[in-house]
Amino acid sequence: MTDRASFLAAIRSAPRGLDPGLPDRRDAPDAPTQLRVGEDRAARLQAEAEAASTVVHRVTASDVAATVARVLVEANSQRIALTTDLAPFVDDVQATLAVAGLTGAIYAEVAPNRAHAGALDATVTGCIAAVAASGSIVTSAAGAGRAGALIAPTHICVVRDEQIVGGLHELFDGDVLAEAGSLFALQSGPSRSADIEKVLILGVHGPGNVHLIIVAPD
Amino acid sequence: MSATREDVGGTPLPPGWAKPAHQPDAFELTTTTFEERAAKTMARPFARGAIANATDHAAALTTARFVGTDHDALREEARKIRAHAIANLPDYLDHWIDQAERKGTVVHYASDESEARRIVAQICTDQQITRVVKSKSMASEEVSLNSALEAVGVDIYETDLGEFVVQAMGDRPGHVIAPILHRTKDEVHELFSAMAGHELPNEAEALTAFAREGLRHAFLTADAGISGGNFLIAETGDVLLVTNEGNGRLTTSLPPIHIALVGIEKVLPRRRDLAVLLPLLTGHGTGQQITTYVSVAAGPRRQGEPDGPEQMHVVLLDAGRSALLGGEFEEALHCIRCGACQNVCPVYRQVGGHAYGWVYGGPIGAVLTPLFRGQEEAGELAHATTLCGACDDVCPVKIPLHDLLLGLRRRSDADGHVPRHEQLAFALWAQVWSRPLLYRASTAVARGSLRTLARDGVVSAKTPLLRRWTAGRDLVVGRRAR
Amino acid sequence: MPDDVGMTVAVQLFPTCIGDVVAQQTVTDTERVLDALGIDHQRPSGTTCCGQPAFNSGHDSPARSVAKATLKALDDGSDLPILVPSGSCASMVRLHWRELFHGTPEAEAATRIARRVRELSSFLAEHTDALRDLEPSLAVRVGYHDSCHMLRELRIKEAPREVLQTVAGLELVELDSSERCCGFGGTFSGRYPDVSVAMADTKIDDMVAAKVDVLVSSDPGCLMQLAGRMSRQGTPVRAVHVATLMAEALA
Repeated sequence: MTDRASFLAAIRSAPRGLDPGLPDRRDAPDAPTQLRVGEDRAARLQAEAEAASTVVHRVTASDVAATVARVLVEANSQRIALTTDLAPFVDDVQATLAVAGLTGAIYAEVAPNRAHAGALDATVTGCIAAVAASGSIVTSAAGAGRAGALIAPTHICVVRDEQIVGGLHELFDGDVLAEAGSLFALQSGPSRSADIEKVLILGVHGPGNVHLIIVAPD
Repeated sequence: MSATREDVGGTPLPPGWAKPAHQPDAFELTTTTFEERAAKTMARPFARGAIANATDHAAALTTARFVGTDHDALREEARKIRAHAIANLPDYLDHWIDQAERKGTVVHYASDESEARRIVAQICTDQQITRVVKSKSMASEEVSLNSALEAVGVDIYETDLGEFVVQAMGDRPGHVIAPILHRTKDEVHELFSAMAGHELPNEAEALTAFAREGLRHAFLTADAGISGGNFLIAETGDVLLVTNEGNGRLTTSLPPIHIALVGIEKVLPRRRDLAVLLPLLTGHGTGQQITTYVSVAAGPRRQGEPDGPEQMHVVLLDAGRSALLGGEFEEALHCIRCGACQNVCPVYRQVGGHAYGWVYGGPIGAVLTPLFRGQEEAGELAHATTLCGACDDVCPVKIPLHDLLLGLRRRSDADGHVPRHEQLAFALWAQVWSRPLLYRASTAVARGSLRTLARDGVVSAKTPLLRRWTAGRDLVVGRRAR
Repeated sequence: MPDDVGMTVAVQLFPTCIGDVVAQQTVTDTERVLDALGIDHQRPSGTTCCGQPAFNSGHDSPARSVAKATLKALDDGSDLPILVPSGSCASMVRLHWRELFHGTPEAEAATRIARRVRELSSFLAEHTDALRDLEPSLAVRVGYHDSCHMLRELRIKEAPREVLQTVAGLELVELDSSERCCGFGGTFSGRYPDVSVAMADTKIDDMVAAKVDVLVSSDPGCLMQLAGRMSRQGTPVRAVHVATLMAEALA
C-alpha cells in the first residue's frame, strides 16, 4: 500500500507548472452569487429562493410559530422533528404545534434510529446563515445536523434577518462557519432531478416541499 | 451495524432490488473504434435528438446565467485559482491531509486504479460492509469501483436517479452531469416496472417516486456511503460535494461510514475560493444559480452532533494525474467536471458520451482519455473533433482544449502512433506541395480529374480516393447549374 | 466607418489550395469584386498551401515544408496586404505560422507575413461605403455561417455581415446555428464521414427552417461540406462564398 510520504513524493518529483499566484479576493469580479450594489438582502434572498421553488414567508418573531404550524397542518405532517438551531423558537413552536394536536420531537432524539429519522414527515430547522444572492440557507452539523434539513418530505427553515449575508464571498469571509462542526451545507430549494427526459421533478431524495421563514428584525 | 439494519421498519427492498444489476466496466477502447461506437448512438434517433436538445438547453441556461456579470473576468479568476492550486499541488495536498486528519478523517493513498479498488474493498472487508449507497462519482467510474466491491460481496446502490437507472440497465453514464441523457422515459418505465413486478404509471414523477422509495430503504440500511468529491479545501481539510437530488448529503450523513474517492487535482487552496468556483461549476454544469445541495464535510460526526457517520475515509486518487504536472497537458488537471464543453461540442451533440469509449465524453474526454489510458489505447480520440474551439470559449476555468487536442495529435505523430498510410500520405503530400512546379502540376491533374468525373459541376461518383467524402456528400466543383 | 476608398490601392491575393483545386470560382469572384472596387490585385506566383491540413493533424514537419513554399512566394519584400478568401487559411497564417516556424530561419518572415494577411471579408468590410456606391443589388434571403476558425480564432463576426448588408434587396437572416461547426474539420470529414455529415445536416435543417435561398460563408472548406451535402440531398439552398455573392450583386 502506498503511504503518505511516497504518495506525496511522487507528486513532488514532478516538474512544477506555471504559477500565476493566488488571486487577491478583494479584486475578485462579481459572480451571479454576489449581491448587487444597493440591493436589499432579504428581498434578494426571497427572490432567489422563490426562483428555486422555495415558499417564502416574511414574518415577525411573534408569528414564527404560527406560520410553522400552518405549513405543517397544510402539509398534513404527522411525524415532525425540530432541530436545536431553531432556538429561540423551539418552545414557542412546540407549544403552538400542541394546540394543533401535533408533536414536534427533537431531531437529536430521533436521529440515532435511522428508520425513525427516515420516516419523518417534516423537519423544522434554523440555520447558521442565509446567502441572499444564491437563495441558500446554510446549515451546520452542529445545529440542524447533517440530514436534519433534508431527511423529510417537508422542510421549514427559519432565518433571522441578521443572519442573512449578501453573497458567497461574505459567507466564506465571515466567521459563521467556524462553529459549524463536522459539516456545513448550502441548501437552495427543494430536492430536484431532471434526469428522466428533462422533466423537472421536485422531491427526489430530499424534500419537495420547502419553506423559508424570514424573520424581520425587531 | 447489523443491529441498525434490523431496526428498520417499513417495506424491505422490493424483490427486484435484492441484487442490483451488475454494471460493466467502462472500457470499450481496446475493442471498438470511435466510429463504431458513434454509429451505435447515431442509430438511435431518440438518443440523438435528446442529446442535442439537452445540451442545447444546458448551454443556453449557462449563457443566460451570466448575463450582466463580468463572466470572462470570473473565468479568468477561476483559471488563476486552479493554475495556482495545481502548480502547488503537493503543498496543498500535504496541508489538506494535515487538516483532514486533525478532524478525524482517515486518509488513504491510491497511486493507481487497482490500488483504489483494493483500498475501498479492504475497508469494506475490515468493517464488514455488505451494503453501500453510492453518490455519483466519476472517479469511481474511472477505477471501476463497483465491480471491485461486488467481487468482495458488497451490494452497491447508485443513488443518483440517473446513475441508478444506468446501473440497473447495465449501461454506462452518457454525460458527466446528466447520466441518462440518452435514455427515454419509456425505457425507464419498462425497467422500473420489471423491478417493481407490476406496471408503474409511465410518468417521470411516479418513476422517480418508485426509485426514491427503494433507495430510501437502502439509505436507511446501508453500512457505508461512498461518494466522490467536487473539491478538497486545503485550508480546512474539507471534502465538498454538490448534488441536486440530495443523495450526496444523505450518502455522507446516514450510513455509519463515509468513504470518499477523490482525484488529487480537486484541491482548492481556501474556502473563499469557492465564491468563485462554485457559481462557475453550477452555472456551467446545469445553469443554476447554485446547486441545490452543497455539502462540505471535514471528518466524522463530532461530539454533540445529532447525526453523521462514525468514520470518514478519503481515498486520494492519483491514477495518471501527477504524470501530467508541469507538462504540456497540465491544464487538463484544472478541469472541474462541469460538463459545459460537452454541452457545446458539435461532435458530442451527434454521438453522445459512449462514443468516447471510457468515462469522460466530449472535448475533455478526448483530452483526458488519451492522457489517462495512453496514446496507444485512446490516441484516436484527439482526432475525433473538428477543432472548432467552442469548448475553449465556454470552459469556466479556461482550459485551452483546442490546443491540448492539437498537442495530443502532435504527440501521436511524435510517438509514431499514426497509421502508416496516414504518415505516407502526408510525406508524399509534403514532397509534392512544397515544390510550386509539382504543386501546379498536381492541382492541374486534380482539377482535370474532377472535371472528368463531374456531371453538371458535381462529383457524386464513388471513386476510390474520394469514397469517404462521397459516401454522404457530393463534391461541388463548378457553379451549380440552376 | 472611415472613408478609406483609395487608401488601399493594391493587394496580393493568396488563392489557397482549396481555391486552386475546388473553389476556383471563389478566387475569380474575389478578383471581380476587387476590380469593381478599383483595387489592383495579383496572385503571387509559387504559392501552394498554408500547411493547415498537416498542422491540424499534428504533423508539423510536412506542414512546415509545404507552408515554407507559400511563405517564400508571399514574402515579396512589399508591405501589401495579402488577402485570403478563406477564414481558416487566414487564421493559419496569421496565428499559427509563428508557432510553426518558431526557431527556424523562416521565423522572422513568418511574423512579417502574418501581419500582412487579411481575411477577405474583414478587408471588404473596410470598403463598405465604396461597395454601396457601386449599388450592389440582389433579391435573396441569405443566412450566414460563421466558420469556426474565423469566428473563434480571428474573432471576426460582424465584418462579413456588414459586407452583405451593402446589397440592396438582400435580406440577412440570423440562423440559430450560425456559430455551430458544419462538421468539415479538414481531415475530420474523411476520418468520420458519418458524424461529419450528421453535423452538416443539423445546420442544413436550420437553413431550411429559416427558408433561406442562399447560405453564405467566408470559408471554402465549410462551403464544400455544406454545398456537397445539400447537393446530395437535393436541398434547394445554394451555398456560396461571400465573394461570389458580392460578385453576383455587382454584376
